[in-house]
Parts: sequence; structure tokens; C-alpha cells
Amino acid sequence: MKHLLLPVVFIMFTAGLFAQDDTGNTRNNSRKKDIEFTTETFESTRILNGHSIERLDPGQLDFRISHRFGTLNSGAYNFFGLDQSNIHLSLEYGITKWLMAGVGRGNYEKTFDGFTKFSVLRQSKGARVMPVSVSVVTSAAMSTLKWTDPSRTNYFSSRLSYVGQLLIARKFGDFLSLQVTPSYVHRNLVATELDPNDLYSIGVGGRIKLTSMISLNAEYYYLLNPTKYMSQKVYNPLSIGVDIYTGGHTFQLFFTNSQAMIEKGFIGETTGSWAKGDIRFGFNISRIFILHYPK
Amino acid sequence: MKRIILSVSVVITFIILFSSCYYDNEEALYPELNQTCDTTNVTFNGTIVPLLSDYCYSCHSNATAATAGNNIRLEDYADVVSNAVMIRGSIKHTGSYSPMPKNGGMLKACQISQFDAWVSKGMLNN
Repeated sequence: MKHLLLPVVFIMFTAGLFAQDDTGNTRNNSRKKDIEFTTETFESTRILNGHSIERLDPGQLDFRISHRFGTLNSGAYNFFGLDQSNIHLSLEYGITKWLMAGVGRGNYEKTFDGFTKFSVLRQSKGARVMPVSVSVVTSAAMSTLKWTDPSRTNYFSSRLSYVGQLLIARKFGDFLSLQVTPSYVHRNLVATELDPNDLYSIGVGGRIKLTSMISLNAEYYYLLNPTKYMSQKVYNPLSIGVDIYTGGHTFQLFFTNSQAMIEKGFIGETTGSWAKGDIRFGFNISRIFILHYPK
Repeated sequence: MKRIILSVSVVITFIILFSSCYYDNEEALYPELNQTCDTTNVTFNGTIVPLLSDYCYSCHSNATAATAGNNIRLEDYADVVSNAVMIRGSIKHTGSYSPMPKNGGMLKACQISQFDAWVSKGMLNN
């Protein structure tokens, strides 16, 4: 029963917000032109590792190639980590003005993943003043690693994990955007009794726009569960880097202590520590194709 | 209308996804793993080779090492002995050694202590 409660509350909460947005839209149709929505809070649909408030416009297809290399402290022999690489590929699509979805595959635990991101509130001024933009991300991931012990009874459910995130962002002028991201990660199977199946964390991220093409981004997730007794020492992921925007491409080049590129991995399974030098170079390349123009 | 259909389908997808939530952990799900860790009867052929074969030989066998395993071979006794310090660092994720197994979780604590036990007993070829 306890397991059911949380998603139900979550749906009620989001449904309530939906309704608000809806009535606002229909009732104010005549005034809609006077509402000035904030755009380009972030350059890309990701801050660095995690999702940003940005969505794709309807009809846009985003092909993303992401890499995280080995750790800098693995030394010159491994070319400071560049000899080793983790990759994540994804295809993401804007379905409507408020909904996008994507599927991906990463070699971290050989995981397939899918997500939807939908807008609940949009920052605006003019006829309707809204101080923040709010979106919801839901995603599921399936690890396809071979079972460590094929002789025991293995369950398909053990491969799955889920993520729910509430993205709350505000653009403070052209220069600065900030986002707070309360996140919930559920893992169906964990290693020991000391490892929580449910992880709660708060992410904070931001962008400082340096030029029209370059911005400086940073992102941090704080894990609310106590990590002291977990069977594996986990650290909070911190990423710092730049966005370089060149027309249809966005390059994100950064340093991070996490290996995985999906929420389940970088929130709950970051075993690298900045203090110890387990820092990885990473990049995301995003290429947007316009399949059709919005009507 | 389109908007209503979409919001309903999003909520349904959400319910379907979360309806298959489980709260499992390997200790409770597989109680046979809770047996105490045997580090006294550790032998090269009985303990270490099966461990290496399960977790390492997909990249570090004599056949695969040149292409997948950075030329580090772990199949012959002499090779394991000469690489033992590195293996220990890699499976414990310590020092500047590349963490192993690559792209996967750490070995179980018991497996790591068994490897330790074999090293501290002088890496016998038994």
C-alpha cells in the first residue's frame, strides 16, 4: 500500500497543476497574445548531466551523443582517462508544445532508458505573471547486464528503475538562469538491506551566459538519504562546464565525478569523488533535426 | 481535445510504470548469499580461476586481451601473480588503477576478501 501512495499523490498533484494551466489557457485565449513567455532559460534540454526545463519544439528531433571518459587521476598512461569511455546515445522528440519524449541506450550497465518531460507552468510576464517555469520528468531505465549469477531465480523487475523529477526554473534576465530539481529515484533491486530502494535528492543547477554562443553551467545533486551505511560509498554528483551553441548543434563540455548519464546512475551510483581526483571529462553533442514545422 | 488525450496517456504511462515497483534487495531475495564468507579454504584453481573466469575473461583471457583487455592477460597462473597488485587495486576501486569490472558494479565484498586472502597467503598455485 505504501508503494502505491506516492505515485497517486504525485499524479493528484500534477493533475491539479494541469487543470490550473488549462483553465488559464482557455479563459485567457483573447489575452494570450499579451502574455510574454520566457524562452531559452537554458541552451539545451540538459543542464549538464540532468534535465533542464527546456523542451524541444513540436516536430524537432534531437540526436544526442554523450561521453564520459575515465578519471583524470588514472594518469598519463591512460591519457588522463581519455582511453576509457562511456557512451550514451539518445533520440528525443518534441511531440507538442508542452510534451517531449526520448529513448536512449548507454553502456553503463548496458541500460536502455526512456523518458517524458512535460511542462506544467511557464515563466511569463505581461498579461499573466508567472515567476517560474515548472516541468515534470518521468523516466524508466532497464539494465541488460548478464545476471551475475544465472543459477539463482532472477526477476525481470530487478532490471528496472524509475525516476520522477520536478524541475523548477527561473531565468533572471539574459545573464543568469537557475533551476531546482527535487528528484525521486526508485530501484527495484538493491545490493543489501542497507541500501534504500527509494532515493530522494535535490538538484540545483544554473547557467551564466558569457556570450551569445557560450555559457557557463554547473549542476549539483544533493542526496537526502544518509549515505553512511550504504554498501558502496556514493558521492553527490557535481558537474561544471560550458555550453557552446552553434546553430543546429549544441556542445556541452564539462568535468564531472559521475560515470553514468542517466538519473538513476548519477544520482545514486556516483562513486567518484572530486576531492580524490576521480574527475571525468565529459561531453554532450546535440544535433537537432526539424522534421516538421509547428502548425 | 488532443491535449486531454495526451495528458491522460501520460498519466496512464506513469501508472503502468510505477505499478511494477518492487522493494527488493539481494540479501533478502537470495538468502543463500548470506552464508558466511569463506576465506580460509581459498585456492587458485578452486576460487580465483572461477572468479576471474566469471568477471574478467570476457576481456582478459589470452585470446581477448590484445583487443579488448589492454593486453593484460589473467588466464595463466604466472600472469595473475605478476598482475596481482593491480587486480587488487582495480577490484577495490582504489589507487590509480582502472576500476574493474568495467561498466559494472563492484565485485561482492566476499569475493574481494577471498582474493585478498589468496594474495596474503603467498599466491599459491594450488
